[in-house]
Amino acid sequence: MTVAVAPRATIGGRTALPGDAVLGMLMVAPIVITMAALVIIPLGQTVWDSLHRINPMQAGTPFIGLANYSRMFADADVGHAWTNTLIYVGIAVTIETVVGILAAALINQVKVGRQWLLAAVILPWALPGVVNSVIWLWIYQPGAGLLNGILTAFGLPFDNHVWFNDRTSALIAVVVVHIWRMMPLTIVIVLAAMQSIPGHLYEAAHIDGATRPQMFFSITLPLIRSAIAVAMTNSIVAGFNIFDEAWVLAGASLETRPILVQIYLETFQNLRFSYGMALSLLLTAVSLGVSLIFVLRLYRTTRFE
Amino acid sequence: MKPSPALRIVTIAGVVLLLLWSLGPIYWTLVSAITPSADFSARPIHFFPQHFTFDHISRLLGINVERIGGVLVWAQFRAALFNSIATSLAATVLCVAIAAIGGYAFTRLDFPGKRVIFLVVIATLAVPGYAVLIPLYRIMIGLKLIDTYLGITLIYISAYLPLTLWLMRSVFDSLPIALEEAAQLDGAGRLRIFFNIVLPLVGPGLTAAAILTFLGAWGQYLVPLIFSPSATKPLTVLIPEFVTKNFIDYGLITASGTIAIIIPALVVIFLNRYLVTGLLAGSVK
Repeated sequence: MTVAVAPRATIGGRTALPGDAVLGMLMVAPIVITMAALVIIPLGQTVWDSLHRINPMQAGTPFIGLANYSRMFADADVGHAWTNTLIYVGIAVTIETVVGILAAALINQVKVGRQWLLAAVILPWALPGVVNSVIWLWIYQPGAGLLNGILTAFGLPFDNHVWFNDRTSALIAVVVVHIWRMMPLTIVIVLAAMQSIPGHLYEAAHIDGATRPQMFFSITLPLIRSAIAVAMTNSIVAGFNIFDEAWVLAGASLETRPILVQIYLETFQNLRFSYGMALSLLLTAVSLGVSLIFVLRLYRTTRFE
Repeated sequence: MKPSPALRIVTIAGVVLLLLWSLGPIYWTLVSAITPSADFSARPIHFFPQHFTFDHISRLLGINVERIGGVLVWAQFRAALFNSIATSLAATVLCVAIAAIGGYAFTRLDFPGKRVIFLVVIATLAVPGYAVLIPLYRIMIGLKLIDTYLGITLIYISAYLPLTLWLMRSVFDSLPIALEEAAQLDGAGRLRIFFNIVLPLVGPGLTAAAILTFLGAWGQYLVPLIFSPSATKPLTVLIPEFVTKNFIDYGLITASGTIAIIIPALVVIFLNRYLVTGLLAGSVK
């Protein structure tokens, strides 16, 4: 090619070649086509269809306005599923954040074999959610499970205890599996922020006679604030989207049913397509809204300090 | 700062607890897969296997036994393992290739609508999969792509493309432009620069993007539950079926779980550095 002699224009400090516009559009075409066909158009379809009655068992798809949305508030099962979901989110986000920060601080102390420790900690996150769930299903098993085995070994009366007979223990059993899977993400994000804090800050504090807890609260914590916000956003979104754990451990049980299982049942078992779409749009809005509030609040407090 | 003895003890105790919490359940699965069923309900519980058996694994692999409870377990398992590997690999390769080519264009080339398109694609990171699942289901039925490799792979690609694109663009952004300008002066065209100079430099970035896509696709459950119900059924859909069929065979569950654990475990053990980089770049949306 003899492009070297062609005139060259500079746009925004970058060197442009003739034909860039066409080549650029060709190069991003696969992305545009895939995303438009499989995400953006279906998303618009979801919004539009949620305003109609779409049910393969019923003829016609009449426009029904916001009827699908107003119906949710009278739907007892939906209310139940929302309650369960909020319980999951509350427990999961609190424990993942608090224990995740402590675990990251701990790993940050470890000098020898830190990569191996980190790999071990990340492993539960890397496994399929379904596999995590069957691993714990086996641990929770009443007659032969590890959990009852350990409790009985300590002399506690948990022989053949059924953890899914009681709503409270069933909810906790589900959320523990979720925390086991999602906490590694919090640890990785927070640990990276801790490692980027310059060491001389701690040395200076040490000379001033600060204790380790003082250093943690007045140096570490303020400097990892935005990382905590990012980690909490991930935890919140993951908590609202809990599905695999609840479905594998307890199936359609109303006691543990999160909102996403409710959507799945309404859509693919009751075939109320448009009702399912309205529910999933509300879930999207709620999980994004809640995480946005958290991020904004954390950023604001950081800025005013 | 030298750590005090008390702090060292706390650290060691904490590390032991963290390891027990993270690896304990996985250890228990691996151990159960080689423990005879008769020993399962032994009390007091043995934390180390007392007897050793290949029974569960050989039943899973269909050695000397074709059907368990009337189900062709090995035939189903073999197919599901193949399906998981095939769809995850295909989605990974295509997703990373499309994102790398497009990401380069978004970073270095000027074309109309560039900024808007990029923002819209990245904004879909905030759209959860289930918000588009039902229209997708109807589209896939219309195209007769339910339960096909093409259908499920396309969905995985669309699910992981925004994240991979975001990663790839930040990787290209961090490359010094001088190298590419020098190649231009030598008369190399855009595509030659991309394939011969840029791509060899972004191996770590490509690896991180590939790992995230692969692990994500490998672990999918709700999507294949709907779009891959039988012929293209992956491991994640098959394994819980061992639970809900009329018999609950924990030996089979732990043996199949062990096999589903191996691949992600290898990725974490050998490629953890890239995985962490990818996670960090991906989480700071």
